[in-house]
Amino acid sequence: MNLIRSIKKDFNTMTLVLIPVAIAINVVIGEIVVVLKLPVYLDSIGTVLVGALCGPWAGALTGTLSNTIWGLLIDPNALPWFPVALLIGFVAGWCARFGLFTNWWKVIISGILISLTSATASTPISVWLYGGITASGSSFITAFLLQTGHGLISSVLSTNFLVEPVDKVTTALLAFAIIQGLSVRYVARFPRSENVMVEKKGTHNTQIIVAIAIAAVLIVIAATVLVSLLAS
Amino acid sequence: MSNKLSFYIDRPGPLHGLNPLTKLAVAFAFIIIAFSAHWYWAPLAIFIAGIIPIAVAGRLGREFFSTGVRLFLPLFAFLFIMQSLFYPGGETVLFRLWFLTVKLEGVRFAFLTAMRILVMVSSFMLVLLSTHPSALMSDLTQRGFPAMLSYIVTSTLQIIPQMRNKAGTIIDAQRSRGLNTEGSLGQRVKALLPLVGPLVFGSLVDVEERAVALEARAFNAPRKKTSLREIPDTNWEKVLRWFCLILMVASIGSNIWLS
Repeated sequence: MNLIRSIKKDFNTMTLVLIPVAIAINVVIGEIVVVLKLPVYLDSIGTVLVGALCGPWAGALTGTLSNTIWGLLIDPNALPWFPVALLIGFVAGWCARFGLFTNWWKVIISGILISLTSATASTPISVWLYGGITASGSSFITAFLLQTGHGLISSVLSTNFLVEPVDKVTTALLAFAIIQGLSVRYVARFPRSENVMVEKKGTHNTQIIVAIAIAAVLIVIAATVLVSLLAS
Repeated sequence: MSNKLSFYIDRPGPLHGLNPLTKLAVAFAFIIIAFSAHWYWAPLAIFIAGIIPIAVAGRLGREFFSTGVRLFLPLFAFLFIMQSLFYPGGETVLFRLWFLTVKLEGVRFAFLTAMRILVMVSSFMLVLLSTHPSALMSDLTQRGFPAMLSYIVTSTLQIIPQMRNKAGTIIDAQRSRGLNTEGSLGQRVKALLPLVGPLVFGSLVDVEERAVALEARAFNAPRKKTSLREIPDTNWEKVLRWFCLILMVASIGSNIWLS
């Protein structure tokens, strides 16, 4: 009962109207990035936005529909990847629920968490449906790892762990920047607006120190994971 | 103004008259059989004996072929090159090129994967070429799909062309004011925010007005709503859908039983 109530709370009329706009943002920014020839996808900004403002369930729905619609309109190759987008929205929503969208270094942490989920979730789809090689530049890394004798799953997983963080951290930061740019009155109309109220405490210096410390810890963890993956 | 958004082609034919759910059922049946069959040539057989005849019979052959080539050629080229050269555990060498070796197991795996992807994407393509998205959404809503989801999909289909036009305008406007969209990586990264900012905030401003408009039209009212558009459904199509479901279950079952 609590679960159903929590799901229903995510969806008011503003959510309903935000989701199509968020999906359109996903599509169009994904295309702008191609025009600018940047080495990232940035096709989940809308999903993370909905997850933070409206909750994990709305974020999951946005991700699913975003991939479905992208597959219906632009490239059917995008259809099988909807679980990844679903989890991106879901994790973004939960990060916001746990207060990780309140200042920029916490948003970086959210971005890293989201990238871990998306990297792990996209590996089985890539391996089972596409044999590990998708039509993107990261497949070269996978091929290199395969050539040096690693198994298929660990190659794909390692490639994803290398490629996803940059994309998802940028995505999370951009979503955060968008939310910061909206007026408080506007944000208050969304179901989970309490997740994105910026906290005022803490000086700029402490924030930077904490950010560097956390980034260092996460880099160490990521390096250990990568090394153990490559060694297996 | 805006280019065609969906794949839908408005041409009366046998496929266009079918219920959207039937087409989806057949597409899924093809895909599941292609992925779960133990016979190596099953996906290719499905494509040649099932998908191509349906495309031709539905008078969609030309578009099917041209979109297919556009979608598949880069992917397959990439796939074949990568897998033939780098497939793990390949031993039988076909020929050498400089320092690269082409292995038979890689080619065989690439072919199987390519055929499966071909069946998956082309069967969806057939559904998309012959089904208008709002027809699919209307049908699903009449079957009890939540109206909310139907609204989201239909609304997105309208918003995306609008937003693409806006994005084009913004890119042109910023470029004419001196924004550098080529150049070094740093310059291109800095160009991102002036392009994304106006687009996103401009679109978000609409959101509140749309929400009010929806609420003013009783969108959240719990009564069942009558539809302007009726989607036909016949009895033999219902039988066909059940048959597809049985085929899918049987295919997955035989896959598990045989391995």
